[in-house]
Amino acid sequence: MSRVIRAALFQTAWTGDKESMIQVHEQAVRDAAAQGAQVLCFQELFYGPYFCQVQDKAFYDYAERIPEGPTVQRFQSLARALGIVLILPMYEEEQPGVLYNTAAVIDADGSYLGKYRKTHIPQVQGFWEKFYFRPGNSGWPVFDTAVGRIGVYICYDRHFPEGWRALGLEGAEIVFNPSATSRGLSKYLWQLEQPAAAAANEYFVGAINRVGVEDLGDNDFYGTTYFVDPEAQYVGEVASDKETELVVRDLDMAKLREVRDRWQFYRDRTPGAYSPLTAP
Amino acid sequence: MTTTSASHPAAPPEPALSVRQVLTLERVLAGEPEVVAGAGGLDRAVRWVHVAEAADVGVMLTGGEMVLTTGVLLAGDESRQAEYIQSLHRAEAAAVVLGLGRAFPTPPEVMRRAAERCGLPLVVLHRPFPFAELTEEVQSRLVRRKFAAVSLSEAVRTDLTALITAGAPLQRLLDEVARHSACPVVLTNLAHRVLATAGERSAVDDVLRDWERVSRQAGGGALDAWISAELGGRGERWGRLLLCGYRGEPANGRLLADRAAEALVLHRMLGGSALSWEEQSAQSLLTDLVSGVVPARQLLPRARAAGLPVNLRTFVPLVVPGAEPAVLDRLLRVLGLSGLAAELADGVTAVLLSLPRDRAADALTALFAARLREATGRPDALVAAADPRTGWDEVPAGLREARHVADAVAGSAAALGLPAVVRLKDVHLRGLVRLLRENPDVQSFAERELDGLLRKAEPELLEVLRTYLATGRNKSRTAQLHHVSRPALYRRLEAIQGRLGVDLDDFEQAASVHIALLAHDAQQR
Repeated sequence: MSRVIRAALFQTAWTGDKESMIQVHEQAVRDAAAQGAQVLCFQELFYGPYFCQVQDKAFYDYAERIPEGPTVQRFQSLARALGIVLILPMYEEEQPGVLYNTAAVIDADGSYLGKYRKTHIPQVQGFWEKFYFRPGNSGWPVFDTAVGRIGVYICYDRHFPEGWRALGLEGAEIVFNPSATSRGLSKYLWQLEQPAAAAANEYFVGAINRVGVEDLGDNDFYGTTYFVDPEAQYVGEVASDKETELVVRDLDMAKLREVRDRWQFYRDRTPGAYSPLTAP
Repeated sequence: MTTTSASHPAAPPEPALSVRQVLTLERVLAGEPEVVAGAGGLDRAVRWVHVAEAADVGVMLTGGEMVLTTGVLLAGDESRQAEYIQSLHRAEAAAVVLGLGRAFPTPPEVMRRAAERCGLPLVVLHRPFPFAELTEEVQSRLVRRKFAAVSLSEAVRTDLTALITAGAPLQRLLDEVARHSACPVVLTNLAHRVLATAGERSAVDDVLRDWERVSRQAGGGALDAWISAELGGRGERWGRLLLCGYRGEPANGRLLADRAAEALVLHRMLGGSALSWEEQSAQSLLTDLVSGVVPARQLLPRARAAGLPVNLRTFVPLVVPGAEPAVLDRLLRVLGLSGLAAELADGVTAVLLSLPRDRAADALTALFAARLREATGRPDALVAAADPRTGWDEVPAGLREARHVADAVAGSAAALGLPAVVRLKDVHLRGLVRLLRENPDVQSFAERELDGLLRKAEPELLEVLRTYLATGRNKSRTAQLHHVSRPALYRRLEAIQGRLGVDLDDFEQAASVHIALLAHDAQQR
């Protein structure tokens, strides 16, 4: 009997305040658990607006300590109560003035497993992230959760194949890619890059994007959250491009083994030839 | 608006003859043609026929020409012969035809070798005839083809425009496209979800059977004779139209797909229907299921292609009175539940949930109903549910069961104090009376029993009687629901008993009036 992981993703629109945003996400955890989902990942900077459309230090207040901050603790209790693994992409303050774009990983018993800090930080029109975040320094952690080995790669990271591969080498079975990306800028890439990464690294990818236009700018976030399998095929349907949606899908891990036995990319890669990639 | 080719990106813009087809024309066959080089290029399209003896003919060509020559200016100069062939090759000529005779009594070896090297078909005519006959023959055929293409294009455009102007539904447009194409026509959104189909049912079913796999291949051009046109406007792509297995000339199929795509874009932009294509798709599937006209098994490929998970699932048919399909669709998305929601023909909104087998279907149905109340702000909103079905074949009966339950409780939900999810077991006698409502004996029984109230048309007293009986003759609850004092209620009950000539404290008489009232109400709806 193969191992099937029922995994979930949640895309939603900015409600206007942090507390109601957290409540919407708490409800999503309950709804996912009601369907037997074993793991759920939220969108990038999940409880806030996508404030990187502007450069304003007032938004530094959205940062919290991880794992000591209130939001992580709140979701630890929920994870414990419902027995679900949670991935919480949020704004992290390590100490005043040292801020990261981070995802905390909570196990199904509520214990805190660790965090991934976004490595590649963009600074382009409408995505002024260098104003808010230091580049991540967490390396490429893969978390051994109750349901399987999970990696996280945040938003703009997805344009860099190196991190995807590093997570694969660490044994990731599912990599979550929480994002905030807008129509016009990247929509055609959204259907290309993560499926390509899933095929190149022979694991499942869950791609999450928020929806709607927020009052900080014109970015029109296009949702279309999805899971893709190691053959780059969508698992079920792609979510709406406008509406809040919980995506719950069964991921059959037998597929991962089947594809790796067939294609053997990990056997045939030749790291010795790649030194130019790491030359400074 | 964009309509672009997916399966034949390099297809010529207009119909053309191939070199091979030209060589099989009767007039040409009489000239005893022999292909002496470049046989691999015989399927090249011939765009035009050109007679040229000049050695530098290449500069006069624009590609796709079949060049006819006697070689009179080339005889005796081998380097010019080779250069002549290379010049045609550079100009992307389709083929060269050499009439044997005074200049070349036999196929010239230098030209043959040069043509073979560059893959240019070299054809010799052993019995040459006036080239004018050949150009006339081929040119008139090419013109006729172009004219046929233009007239096909016009015919399709005229038919579809007439339908759009007449306000025809999407399905009617697709049926018309299928009539022209004589192959299955499939409309999908960008997620490859099938929104509508047209064409002969068994052929459509064959296409849909393995939809998930084949549709993605089609995007990559792996399937021959699948012609796809993108649908979009105002800078956004919405979906795709596919002609699956078009058997005519690819160029005609391309043209048909493009005209159809333009018409569909226009139809959508003009808002041909208040419903989105996705909503129309769900509506047509649920309507077909509940009608039973087509066996459920035959609708399975359509359900799967519409994105409804069907393998190892539990199906819960629901009817939600007074709910907009769009609201229900949003709720399904928020909850992450798989399902279809649509308004059926008789104004009833139905939902078909598809749930994983390992979850308690009743608990998820209750969750759906509870969240519906929150989402709509209607604390009395009801969901009429059939018992969960594990077999797809049982879904139509389930949908009818849910509709029956909704009918049976309509209008009396508050008095009955029903739960958020109502099932067959909750409707008791109401369900039975509902089923018997067409029976003339039952109708005359109801008229006879209620005559005293119906004759004088006293709707208020009828309302009080209805609530009183529905609450199990609970006077304080009835008074509360009608916002009247208990003494006022007593006076009304006395009036009712007087008009009907019955004693409502007597169980059998009260039961008789209750059944009559249920039968009366069932006929009113």
